[in-house]
Amino acid sequence: MLESAYLDYNATAPIRPEVMGAVSPFLKDGFANPNSPYRIGQEVRRALELARERVARLLGAKNPGEIVFTSSGSEANSAALYGAAWHSLQQSGRNKIIVSAVEHESMREILPILSSQGFKIYETGVDSNGLIDDGSLLEAIDERTALVSVMQANNETGVIQPIEKIAAVCRERGVLFHSDAVQSAGKIPLDVETLGVDLLSISGHKLGALKGAGALYIRNGVKLFPLIAGLQEKRRRGGTENVIGIVALGVAAQLSLAELSNSQRYLSWRRQIEDGCLSASNVRLNGGEGPRLPNTSNFSIEGVDGHSLAIAFDLAGVCVSSGSACATGLSSPSHVLRAMGLPKNLIKGALRVSTGWRTTQEEVDRFIEVFPRVVNKMRSVSLVPA
Amino acid sequence: MNQKRVIVAMSGGVDSSVAAALLVEQGFEVIGVTLQLLPGASTGFGCCGSPADIADAVAVASRLNISHYVITMDELFEDKVIRPFVESYLRGDTPNPCALCNRFVKFGHLLGLSEAWDAGFLATGHYARVKEGKLYRAQDENKDQTYFLYNLGPRELFRLVFPVGDLSKPEVRSYARRLGLETADKPESQEICFIPNRDYRGFVKSHPLSSGLDFALKSGPIKDVSGRELGRHQGTVDYTIGQRKGLVSGSHAPKYVVRLDPKNQTVIVGEKEETMSSVCEISDMTWTSGNPIAQGQALVRIRHRHPPAPAHFSLNKEGRLRVRFDSPQRAITPGQSAVFYRGEEVLGGGMIKEVIE
Repeated sequence: MLESAYLDYNATAPIRPEVMGAVSPFLKDGFANPNSPYRIGQEVRRALELARERVARLLGAKNPGEIVFTSSGSEANSAALYGAAWHSLQQSGRNKIIVSAVEHESMREILPILSSQGFKIYETGVDSNGLIDDGSLLEAIDERTALVSVMQANNETGVIQPIEKIAAVCRERGVLFHSDAVQSAGKIPLDVETLGVDLLSISGHKLGALKGAGALYIRNGVKLFPLIAGLQEKRRRGGTENVIGIVALGVAAQLSLAELSNSQRYLSWRRQIEDGCLSASNVRLNGGEGPRLPNTSNFSIEGVDGHSLAIAFDLAGVCVSSGSACATGLSSPSHVLRAMGLPKNLIKGALRVSTGWRTTQEEVDRFIEVFPRVVNKMRSVSLVPA
Repeated sequence: MNQKRVIVAMSGGVDSSVAAALLVEQGFEVIGVTLQLLPGASTGFGCCGSPADIADAVAVASRLNISHYVITMDELFEDKVIRPFVESYLRGDTPNPCALCNRFVKFGHLLGLSEAWDAGFLATGHYARVKEGKLYRAQDENKDQTYFLYNLGPRELFRLVFPVGDLSKPEVRSYARRLGLETADKPESQEICFIPNRDYRGFVKSHPLSSGLDFALKSGPIKDVSGRELGRHQGTVDYTIGQRKGLVSGSHAPKYVVRLDPKNQTVIVGEKEETMSSVCEISDMTWTSGNPIAQGQALVRIRHRHPPAPAHFSLNKEGRLRVRFDSPQRAITPGQSAVFYRGEEVLGGGMIKEVIE
């Protein structure tokens, strides 16, 4: 593998050594099905339940039974959105769904499907700082509303939404509230009780666990249609549990919780990164005015294409991204920055830098050192009008 | 710049796959790049980066164990290639879009990016040869693509590599088969990559530039050179100079398109001899050496696969190059390129602006 400075933790985090240690028994003797009655199955079951407790603790859930394991954050989002939508439609005929305009693609891609099934989708915009227009969102809630979903922190900009306020109104009006916390979990304190959410999604690999495991918090009493039928996870999610992924998620959740007190470290790096980048001409910070994750900076570099710029950084030995990582490696203009009202050239020149558990000062220094050189070079060959 | 690092433009075809493979063999740090030239999931083919072609390029890159990136350049492609293509047809000309794509996209923006990416060289799967900043015809005369590459200058040529330029197509295919490359037996793309089903007319017609300027799409008379009406056509865009098919039936001798006059919505046809001409004027001349030549002799090619014909040329007052062929040439077509050769070497070229006599 190449030796690059890695500053793209919002895409994924390196696997923690503690995770590797914790999963290795399950690659050998701990193979049993956790639903089997014999003792080796029970042992695996205990490991699963320990993981559930650890995740519950990270999220502030009162009862570990409120945690359902999924294959990913995306699946958790699907399970919440489809599950709540279909259940509400069947139980109460409610067919309106309210979301923010800056949700992750795993949410956005569901909307046209639900819309084609007769659901009414209401999308709430954000201001130039990326903060949701909660006034108009709250106004949009009516007796037809089944679900409101607003992410806790945006994956591209790190902007943190005032979900506590929205959740409170939803509860008052008897509407389910879901939040995608894939980017915020483990980066800022998170408490489902204080926030008042009914449903909340997280992903393991963003915390330094393995890809292929996530979780959905489902408040006691909230009913969903299961996305995958089966007897596992108390009939809420079928399929034999991904033991290795779940054990890894539990360990990473525990470590992330303990590290929340380290936010000064991340804030200091963020400051260094932003001071460094903003000292170049015609670079602006996106979403910098509102509350943000301590690990994320999103810049617009005028006069360049962010995707080509990210390649230039890669070839200079630094991994950063032009926005969210997607399947083909192709860049498409960010819907998040568009929703914030940025002009086209600033959307095109987007660059995201995000730190995490294994980041070192050397990596940050390396990025800051190569930044002006790479940007100047790219600008000298770029055809994007400045 | 890193002289061991080379960017290879990988279209997902066999030629650029083999180009990449040869450079890997030569010990370069090879980085594959596939350009997506049409927006989103548009169905192009050939070199414009359709989803299937991108997948092929990715498969080959992974087989060769090289880094690979996909870059979108759809706006640049629209601006520098598609728009001039449509404008050319609307003028009644027959464009050479590949030459524009090479100049502005592949050896323009991508070459610039490769510089920013610290790569000493840019390679493609073109059949042509470069040596010490000079451009030469390919070894395989059948496959020679210099007709689309003439507008490069020394700034580009010193940084370009055409690894398959010394090979024949069968050699390229057998090399690809030997390496087990996914693209070894992939069929050739002969058409213009952004036009589905050869439907030029439909493409030009549906392009926003055509609105209000669509004389070329309107029906009008087919006339002979003396002005006598012989029939009707459905738009000059359907015709190209020298073309024989699709003309008035019933006349005894076959007729050929001699000239297109889209402003008057007229197609002018004549006998075969009437498509022959000796003198034309060339605009937008570029020279591979970077040094313009005001007058001289050269072999001049007026369309892809046309055997270059001896001609004399000189610069006129309007800054166009006037070319007089030693013997008349068939169907000299405005919008096409005129490419100048000295033996195997490409001297430069430009766009045929007008046929004089």
